Amino acid sequence: MIKKKMTTSVLALTMATGMLLAGCGGEEKAATKDTKKAATKSDEPVTLQFWDENAGPARTPVWEEVIKRFEEKNPNIDVEYVGIPNASAKSKYDAAIAAEDTPDIGSVQTTWLPEFSIREALLPLDSYFKKSDISKKINPSATGVNKKITQDGKLYGIPYAQNLDALWIRTDWFEQAGVKEPKTWDEFFTVIEKMRDEANNRYGFTIRGGAGASFTIQRAMFAYSGLDFFDKNGKTNINDPKHVEFVEKYFSYYDKLTPKSDITNGYKEMIAGFDTGVVAMVHHNPGSYGEHNKALPAGSYKLIPLPTTEKGQYVAEGGNAVNLAIFKSTEHADEAWKFVEFVNSEEAQSYWNQQTGQIPTNSDVLDDEWVQDAQHIKTAFEVYNNPDTKLYEPPFYLPDYRAILDGVVDPGVQAVMSGKMSAKDFLDEWAKAIEDSKAKYDQTFKK
Amino acid sequence: MFTVNKKVDKILTLYLPLTMLLSFTIFPIYWTLNTAFKPEGDIVKRPLQYIPVNPTTENFVAAWTNVGFATFFKNSLIVGVFTVIAVLICSTLSGYALSRYQFKGKRSFMLMLLCTQFIPRAMMIIPLFVIFKNLGLISNPLSLIITYTAIEIPFTTILMSGFISNVPKELEEAAMIDGCTKLQSLRHVVFPLLLPGIVATGVFTFIYTWNEFLIALMLTNQQSKFTLPVGLSTMMGEFSINYGALAAGSVIALIPAVILFAYAQKHLVNGMGGAVKG
Repeated sequence: MIKKKMTTSVLALTMATGMLLAGCGGEEKAATKDTKKAATKSDEPVTLQFWDENAGPARTPVWEEVIKRFEEKNPNIDVEYVGIPNASAKSKYDAAIAAEDTPDIGSVQTTWLPEFSIREALLPLDSYFKKSDISKKINPSATGVNKKITQDGKLYGIPYAQNLDALWIRTDWFEQAGVKEPKTWDEFFTVIEKMRDEANNRYGFTIRGGAGASFTIQRAMFAYSGLDFFDKNGKTNINDPKHVEFVEKYFSYYDKLTPKSDITNGYKEMIAGFDTGVVAMVHHNPGSYGEHNKALPAGSYKLIPLPTTEKGQYVAEGGNAVNLAIFKSTEHADEAWKFVEFVNSEEAQSYWNQQTGQIPTNSDVLDDEWVQDAQHIKTAFEVYNNPDTKLYEPPFYLPDYRAILDGVVDPGVQAVMSGKMSAKDFLDEWAKAIEDSKAKYDQTFKK
Repeated sequence: MFTVNKKVDKILTLYLPLTMLLSFTIFPIYWTLNTAFKPEGDIVKRPLQYIPVNPTTENFVAAWTNVGFATFFKNSLIVGVFTVIAVLICSTLSGYALSRYQFKGKRSFMLMLLCTQFIPRAMMIIPLFVIFKNLGLISNPLSLIITYTAIEIPFTTILMSGFISNVPKELEEAAMIDGCTKLQSLRHVVFPLLLPGIVATGVFTFIYTWNEFLIALMLTNQQSKFTLPVGLSTMMGEFSINYGALAAGSVIALIPAVILFAYAQKHLVNGMGGAVKG
């Protein structure tokens, strides 16, 4: 009897679970059918899912406001915002692409574009862009880089904000010490020494040794040498003697004239060091303006460009931008483009970039009053608009470019800082990883 | 003299190490609490404020209402409670089978259960995503409940079999001589004695689901379905961190775990003792 009862219970439980699963699945399928239907009639409501790759207290409310403004202008389009924490964003996109369950629109970093396009996850936007008014406004060098790095030379992302590595400095300390802002790398190294104040536990500079160290050292190296990423023969310049000389000197300051904790410094620690009055200079970009603004008195800090090369040239990394991309799986490509177009309009870009402290790519925004008043944005513009500024282009198209930075360069930086590896060995290892990857890439795509 | 020495000995060997250990463990929690009650400007201010000078509860209000912690909390609670129920039912029954019956391949079966614990969680993400997508369960709490239950069952089964082995078989036999059926003897004799073990297993399972981040992030594509750890992580942008709301959110997230441990402490100690003996 009990046996019978138990069997019945188990069966009932199994059926209930099955029904629950089927029910939920059914609902989802029904919803998909409904949206497909909606796509056929343009006046019917459409819901677009938008993934933000850098959600946080500063950006999420800004996106929500941009979406609100878009929806007011397009009452039949709803944009569903999904904020993804920056550190996990790439893995989340990877899983979604592998499972073919991508959003309609995504905010994607330039370095991801080549890989996502090779995996056929993105929709080429060339024809949409060509027909749109924004094509005359968006910084051509930023869209140019996006095309150049993809295997088929198509435009897969529209850059709505760009960035530039620079130095944040404590102007009040510089004034007190009678030290001038560094313009060349030699002056930069001298300032590190001059600004060390043992009595007040102040350091001249903080070195990024933890997460993201690879980006900082790469941008600093090329800003020092002014070299291209590859030479004429296709060999990388990563381990050029100029870079060896720079890396040796740069890391020799660690633990003598910069804090001991630098070896694990990520963004947060570095900025905390600057904002809590421990360091006089930090290598970052205009994006941390909000943090400095909260922590430091106005007028006590400012953004200056990275020092120039021996020839007096500014060097910036091409492709240091963030883009809106439309995923191939979307059933509402036209509506998705409307959103991309809106985000890149003067109104939306001006609002978004002013709130987040990033550099707009729409040329109409440059005349806005807030840009004229924002010292950090103006400085960044001056560098980008300087006719002598050189853009070097890292090989974002290599599928394992990012893996090399994370797996070879980040630990390599720590090995050099802790004295376990010489600068030369580190750069040789980095160069070999890049060259092996490029050889594989060239072989596969017969370039 | 002898008493003084004994007292010094006790201070040096007992109280001092325990105080050091406690302060080491408690300080980060204290700092989180301290930060949660500070206004934004005071958090990074130098000199550091060890006690908030201008205490405020605005961070809690911001976390709960503006950031959406109320929703994340509810989602985590749903996932946690249902996972605990599913895990307890499955692991008690399978633990009983492993403890009381001898069958072919029992050792290999237990070894396989153990081996599943060595599979890195990250490896399962894409297959799980594909399975739940096909089932239409992405952004559905059921996908998390099923996954967490499957992940927890092997370990909790072994744990429960240890607890059950600790309950003398003779008690069941005596109950059956008195007229109980197998299931009745289980219900009236074994389960009441197993309570500490069940509580310990339930608490461990709940804490795991409450803290799990990676799978919850990957299987959820809607902000309104995020669990607490995922919600907390969205408060840390690349260039901005809302330290106050983050600390307040962490305190809110801590509360259920603390309450759970406070109520379950007695059972937990008994339960773990039983498991070790078993």
